[in-house]
Amino acid sequence: MEPIYITGAGIASAIGIGKEETRESLLKGKTGIRKIQYLQTQHHEIPAGEVPFSNAEMAEMLGISEEPRLTRTALLGRLALREALQEAQLTSEMLHHVHFISATTVGGMDRRELFHAQEENCDKAHAIIAAHHCANCTEMIAEQFGHFASLSTVSTACSSATNAIITGANMLRCGMADIVVVGGAECLTKFHLNGFNTLMILDQQPCKPFDKNRAGLNLGEGAAYLVMESAESVRKRNVKPLCTISGYGNRCDAFHQTASSPDGEGAYEAMKEALEMAGLTPQDIQYINAHGTGTPNNDESESHAIKRVFTEKLPPISSTKSFTGHTTSASGSIEAVICIQALEYQFLPLNLNWQTTMDEGIIPVTDTRPSTEIKHILSNAFGFGGNDSSLIISKYDV
Amino acid sequence: MNPKKVYIQAAEQISIQQPLSEEWFSAPIFYHDGFVPAVNPAFREYIAANEARRMGNLIKRALVTSLKVLRKTEIDHPDAIITGTCIGSLNCTEKFLQALTENGEQTLSPTYFMQSTHNTVGSTLGIYTKTHGYNTTYSHGEISFDLTILDAWMQMQLGKISTALVGGHEEMIESYFKLLQKTGYVGLDGMAPCSEVAMSMMLNTQPHTEDLCEIAGIRICNHTSADSLNDCIDSLLHEADLCREQLCAVMTGKNGNPANDKQYQEFANSVFPQTSLLHYKHIFGENYTVSALATYAAAHCLKEGYIPPFLYDTDRKEQCASPQNILLINQTKGQEFSLILLKKI
Repeated sequence: MEPIYITGAGIASAIGIGKEETRESLLKGKTGIRKIQYLQTQHHEIPAGEVPFSNAEMAEMLGISEEPRLTRTALLGRLALREALQEAQLTSEMLHHVHFISATTVGGMDRRELFHAQEENCDKAHAIIAAHHCANCTEMIAEQFGHFASLSTVSTACSSATNAIITGANMLRCGMADIVVVGGAECLTKFHLNGFNTLMILDQQPCKPFDKNRAGLNLGEGAAYLVMESAESVRKRNVKPLCTISGYGNRCDAFHQTASSPDGEGAYEAMKEALEMAGLTPQDIQYINAHGTGTPNNDESESHAIKRVFTEKLPPISSTKSFTGHTTSASGSIEAVICIQALEYQFLPLNLNWQTTMDEGIIPVTDTRPSTEIKHILSNAFGFGGNDSSLIISKYDV
Repeated sequence: MNPKKVYIQAAEQISIQQPLSEEWFSAPIFYHDGFVPAVNPAFREYIAANEARRMGNLIKRALVTSLKVLRKTEIDHPDAIITGTCIGSLNCTEKFLQALTENGEQTLSPTYFMQSTHNTVGSTLGIYTKTHGYNTTYSHGEISFDLTILDAWMQMQLGKISTALVGGHEEMIESYFKLLQKTGYVGLDGMAPCSEVAMSMMLNTQPHTEDLCEIAGIRICNHTSADSLNDCIDSLLHEADLCREQLCAVMTGKNGNPANDKQYQEFANSVFPQTSLLHYKHIFGENYTVSALATYAAAHCLKEGYIPPFLYDTDRKEQCASPQNILLINQTKGQEFSLILLKKI
């Protein structure tokens, strides 16, 4: 296939606002998992990858005033989107040719849960905030920057952002768009912190993906967006691509609402599809950014799936959720931006807190220095219900 | 790239009309309430009772409309399952939130949370039918369903898939209806009732004798100016080798809410002053994903070669004796428009 060019990327997560801060944290092994400070929860025992700024502070960074209707998801989304648009040199006037596809699941639940008890007797303004749905989240992120050619929202739980990237890539490939901005945003909410807690899959310590003694995931929050363009658009605008999307796969595990199948069928098929599309063999991949949530079930199932694809010749693998926490609907694009950094600056993101090998398990990255040039990276994102997706991000000048 | 033709092979609905039937076509039911829940069919003909008990209305309805479409088309595993839902598993979301507010953060159970994500519908369809193909969910307000057609259409043009089970599914509960009523979205006097929908259809690049119609194209367009919308319409019609004068009918989402109807009225008057104007929400009600029933209803009109009189706009005299094509227009808050062009086979 004709490659899809990435010409801009932006990120906001617990390890930094912007790519530079993110890269520094990754290289220094500085995690963003800590005690929850801003989310109003009684679960003080549960650590998370919370972005270390209040809503007011983020509004200030954006040069806007804080309003009750502004969700934390929208603030995070805007910080990431602003960076991506700037890097791709897309001004407000140019956006009416640019399609925006964003991902979220909990959307504006953070505002709603604050006053849910008073909802029955609330006024119209509050009813509008309470009835905030995923599309409102996308609109609220976009509105600061201008009018996009179209807006759409993907919601497949934890693989949402990867699926937004896939939809955008298909739009480019079939000529429906020349430029798309794709990714996802999600803030921490009491709703899903408690939801994951009732599933008993939250680690009360910093998570240990792929460790034999792993005890669950840490939630995180953040946003990341990619600007993707067709070859013709890159040529016309004379912009320099950062890297390319060379393949992607979306498959359904079709196994269980919240658990992955033991052999990781959906994950296996998604990775295979992405490789086939890219015209690559498993040996062409120099790094895998795993979904790697740190739950016993995911890491076991994903390890099986990776081994089925890569047999015994495994490339370096890590889960950067040990830095950012599991940023749910945003994780696919957050990890894509981390992969872009790894390609551009030629380093392997670490897998923090790993100590003991799982039975027949994989040994994740413990040294940021790659032994060979990194040309192609595979990134996995799996969601509730077995919505499994994989991306291959490649060096521009391969 | 040679454009691939996309056919609607079969479609089934559960709505405020008779479920899993085309009875609405000859004998529609009219309602005068603010909120009307969907009419449930006998689920047991499709789902075992012990399984059905664990499922909410949204899932049961989506599953039954999908299973009936799969049976009809004899396609066990479509290449893609693409779902549109704006508020998803509303009942589960609201119950979990209510428990959180009432009981605090200590004594919650996971059941409602597990089923609260928007992709619960699409992934349940995958799990139930053991279909490992492409599976995604769009959740973008009033155009959630339209995006499922866009996705399938794109992948069909790219040759990635040849069959897609697409659907639009929305449930409503009384407390959320009241909330939406406060926002001015539904529940106004003289407005179509707030309703629910489950609609599944099979899209196929191969023609079959029972096909309902062809999907000749689709556009999603942010209404930045009158020009942008005009450009979108012209490029869509051009792609289908049609000019504006050849368009038989335009179906809009007029629902009796002035804020909503204004968007369609302006559009219809300026762009298509002479074309037959059709509406469907006075029959199927209003909810975020009810546009799925516009595609469904228009597809049936094209299949039958007849538009029932109750679908026509009462202010326009133009009628269409033998519809060859219908343009569906859907919009969200006058900002974003979706256009779907259907053609008789």
